[in-house]
Amino acid sequence: MTEITASSDTLHIVNKAPDHPRFGTFLRALSDTDSVVLIEDAVLACTDPSLRLPKSCVALTADIDARGLQDLQPAPHMISYGDLVRLTEQHEQIISW
Amino acid sequence: MNTLIVVDQPPYGSWAGREALDMVFSLAAFDQPSALLFVGPGVNWLRSNQAPSGINQKSVEKNLSAAPMFGVEAILADRSACERFGLTEATLVAGVTLTDSVPDTLDGYRHVAFAG
Amino acid sequence: MNNPSLPERNNEGFLEDANHWSPETARLIASEDSIELTEDHWEIIEFLREFYKAHEISPPSNRLFVKAVREALGEHKGSSIYLMQLFPGTPAKTACRIAGLPRPTNCL
Repeated sequence: MTEITASSDTLHIVNKAPDHPRFGTFLRALSDTDSVVLIEDAVLACTDPSLRLPKSCVALTADIDARGLQDLQPAPHMISYGDLVRLTEQHEQIISW
Repeated sequence: MNTLIVVDQPPYGSWAGREALDMVFSLAAFDQPSALLFVGPGVNWLRSNQAPSGINQKSVEKNLSAAPMFGVEAILADRSACERFGLTEATLVAGVTLTDSVPDTLDGYRHVAFAG
Repeated sequence: MNNPSLPERNNEGFLEDANHWSPETARLIASEDSIELTEDHWEIIEFLREFYKAHEISPPSNRLFVKAVREALGEHKGSSIYLMQLFPGTPAKTACRIAGLPRPTNCL
């Protein structure tokens, strides 16, 4: 698989579970200044501390709640659908994995 | 606002790529600038002489050939992936632009969406 | 829908197999919508038959149908009004039904 790196100020929206090959491609494409939102199956990444996601990584509350992950420790940073829309407006580039 | 739809999965085994076609055709229908990029095993979409009637599927090669008519701006492919899967100029469908740098290609688009 | 001289069709009147189409099929299906086929109709029907042969899909939506006709036959014929007059209702659906193509996927 081709290594993909993105320019700075990129918002990554990830919806694949951590063992999906594309999750690995996403992790390798990630640079320090990027923002990350985990949605759908990708919120399962919050259960695995060994993934070492960036501190700025956030997860969609509705998807966390849907999967019974409300009480995870440490608690992931969570955002609403409205926050997600605002994030897409604030970034130059959006990659939906 | 331009959008790049990325296909990283091979044809026929799943519906992921057809979803990509749906996405890019829908963007084109509303005159949104859009293009397709094939990477990894996804480049196998671009091999000529596909004959999938034996597996009761329509030819994605033929489906894809409608893209320019609908206003899809470009069909792009990662050169190294084409080489990996033995795709040469002789076996590649017409109208494909090869890219030597996927990151540079992505930089040209405001929205990048992987299909499937 | 149960006209015995027509090939097998689905519940919306689209042929199950585009290969079973003939010009006579077109006349019969058009007559269900009270459309009498003129040369202008046949031009679009032939365009759709060729389109399907080349791409193995129907134009997925009405907008893309209009766009594809415009690419092939120019601005005048590639317009919603022109196609709506020939194929009332949703032109892409009506025209594909008569031309024996599958139902356009993104037409409601």
